[in-house]
Amino acid sequence: MKLHLPPRVSPKQFQSAMTAFAGVVGKEWLMDTDADRDAYADTYAPGSTEEWPASAAVAPASVDEVRAIVRLANEHKVPLWPVARGKNLGYGTAAPRMEGTVVMDLGRMNKVLELDHKLAYCVVEPGVGFFDLYDQIQREKAPLWLSVPGNAWGSVLGNALEHGIGYTSYGLHARNLCGIEAVLPDGDLVRTGMGAMAGNPAFHLFPMSYGPTWDLAFSQSNLGIVTRAGVWLQPAPETSLEIVWDIPKVEDIGWVIDTITPLKISGLIDQNVFIPSWLGKMVLKGQRKDFWDKPSAIPDWRVDELLKEHKLGYWQVALRLYGEEPVVKARAEVVKAAMKRNLDAAPQEHWWRQGDPIGQYETTMGVPSAVPLQMSDWIGGRGAHMGFSPVVPATGKHVLDQMALSRKIIADFDVDFYASFTIGGRFANNVNMLMYDRDNADEVAKMRKLFDALIVQTAKAGYAEYRTHLGWMDPVMKTFDFNNHALRRFDEKVKSALDPNGIIAPGKQGVWPAAYADKRGSAYKGGN
Amino acid sequence: MPPYMLRPVAPEGDRLKPGRDGKTVFEAQCGYCHLVGGMGTNLLTKQQMMAGNPPAKGLLSNRDDLTADYVKAVVRMGKGAMPQQTKVDLTDAELDAVAAYLGKAG
Repeated sequence: MKLHLPPRVSPKQFQSAMTAFAGVVGKEWLMDTDADRDAYADTYAPGSTEEWPASAAVAPASVDEVRAIVRLANEHKVPLWPVARGKNLGYGTAAPRMEGTVVMDLGRMNKVLELDHKLAYCVVEPGVGFFDLYDQIQREKAPLWLSVPGNAWGSVLGNALEHGIGYTSYGLHARNLCGIEAVLPDGDLVRTGMGAMAGNPAFHLFPMSYGPTWDLAFSQSNLGIVTRAGVWLQPAPETSLEIVWDIPKVEDIGWVIDTITPLKISGLIDQNVFIPSWLGKMVLKGQRKDFWDKPSAIPDWRVDELLKEHKLGYWQVALRLYGEEPVVKARAEVVKAAMKRNLDAAPQEHWWRQGDPIGQYETTMGVPSAVPLQMSDWIGGRGAHMGFSPVVPATGKHVLDQMALSRKIIADFDVDFYASFTIGGRFANNVNMLMYDRDNADEVAKMRKLFDALIVQTAKAGYAEYRTHLGWMDPVMKTFDFNNHALRRFDEKVKSALDPNGIIAPGKQGVWPAAYADKRGSAYKGGN
Repeated sequence: MPPYMLRPVAPEGDRLKPGRDGKTVFEAQCGYCHLVGGMGTNLLTKQQMMAGNPPAKGLLSNRDDLTADYVKAVVRMGKGAMPQQTKVDLTDAELDAVAAYLGKAG
């Protein structure tokens, strides 16, 4: 990819900045060729990767190097887009929001700094992947489990900072963060919580600060670069029981949510309960053309045939309980009785006990896998996906209303409906996977219009997304309209105070520094 | 369900220097998808079988038809469902080592 300069930076000034950065990290860790820029492109870009072009990438090895780069970025007015491992597939991968931004790839900082077996936490640098942490736990024979997202190729810290979701009792990843160290936009270094006292051993144990608590101010944000964080881990349970119900009809999701939510809120169920639709099971079985060979959406009659043929319900609930065997048994009886009120068919049950093997696809037991990325092959070619991810209150009514709305819009665009609901507590994350062939221009254009429509219509109905792709960060931020977009105005006041030159991740989640405010809404080639 | 494939610890020393151990680097840094049961192995097994080859050829380490140049091109550009890999994922020196390890056809 050719060089796209950051705003108001001449080629000579840019070269000067590159030389300065190389002076800090060494020239091999400054990546500024055409091929390097392609490496940091959005792997699943819905359109040309040149809509979100990095000008270069720089990979520091230490906090000191990060601070030095940040100070130089201020001097040279060259903005930075920090990424942990840069595997944010479906939301922009490692690409920056604003053209010409330099990706700061923190992947070289990949140490597990602490792994406490008793207090059940770790301290990680941004480059520590889920696989890395899992492997270290196995090597140390630590009695600890992770929570992993569907695609676990990425960073533990990065995923948590992006509000990522997993499917164990530690599935709300941002809530596992405790005690952050961050480089601020002026190069200063801060530690939150008890870590604000040098050497305090409660840094990663007590989740609040004396005074305002800033940990999550560094999540989904451009207020600083997180260089280490504490992450709470699940103590390995003695046993775990998986109970699997096939839920026959699409509208059954209503009673399923109303049954599980009260048990989740009371704590009887502690898992983040993942409820995928049937397509989630199919996408790993082969290619779409093996099951429906037309570009139009798979019609209901064919869906019914496929459900029968593959013995699937429209939804599946694979709920897991964790703990001592008598406790799990007791909880299981309550859950099964609750589900039986609406579903006669007995569920399947799979017990696991300490000493039993754990297979590599056991996401609900915290085993990392990249196998969900196989869904690219469902589409074939350069298959890709974007996630449309609204949050709904965890009641049957809200879920059914939101689903009816998004299902209709998706059907109007003649696209397959592939949804999941994850009950995280009093809310559910509804992730709608929109899959497309990157090389089919018509399909890509349609996806973009569909995404536009979903955001606008969902907002009209009163729901918002928890996370989105680069190209839609501004439209989604626009939906947060209380008191004349007070949240964005607040974010931007804080941004201006902390980052007057606007050099950290301009435009992330629709928060623009004054220096680049004219870029708001740019690179967004969709509808209104 | 295949068992979890524990990867080796990545080799010590300067990642930029030539002479990295190709097998260890491959397993540590490509092993997310290219060990038994991984995403890449699953898709490649299907492809290999469609081409009339035994399923074991789904593992890159079992292939004898790969060239070092081809491996480098795929790693840097991506292919199908495989995303492109950056120089932080795999330095040029590491890629040389992996390409030599996998590229049994030269």
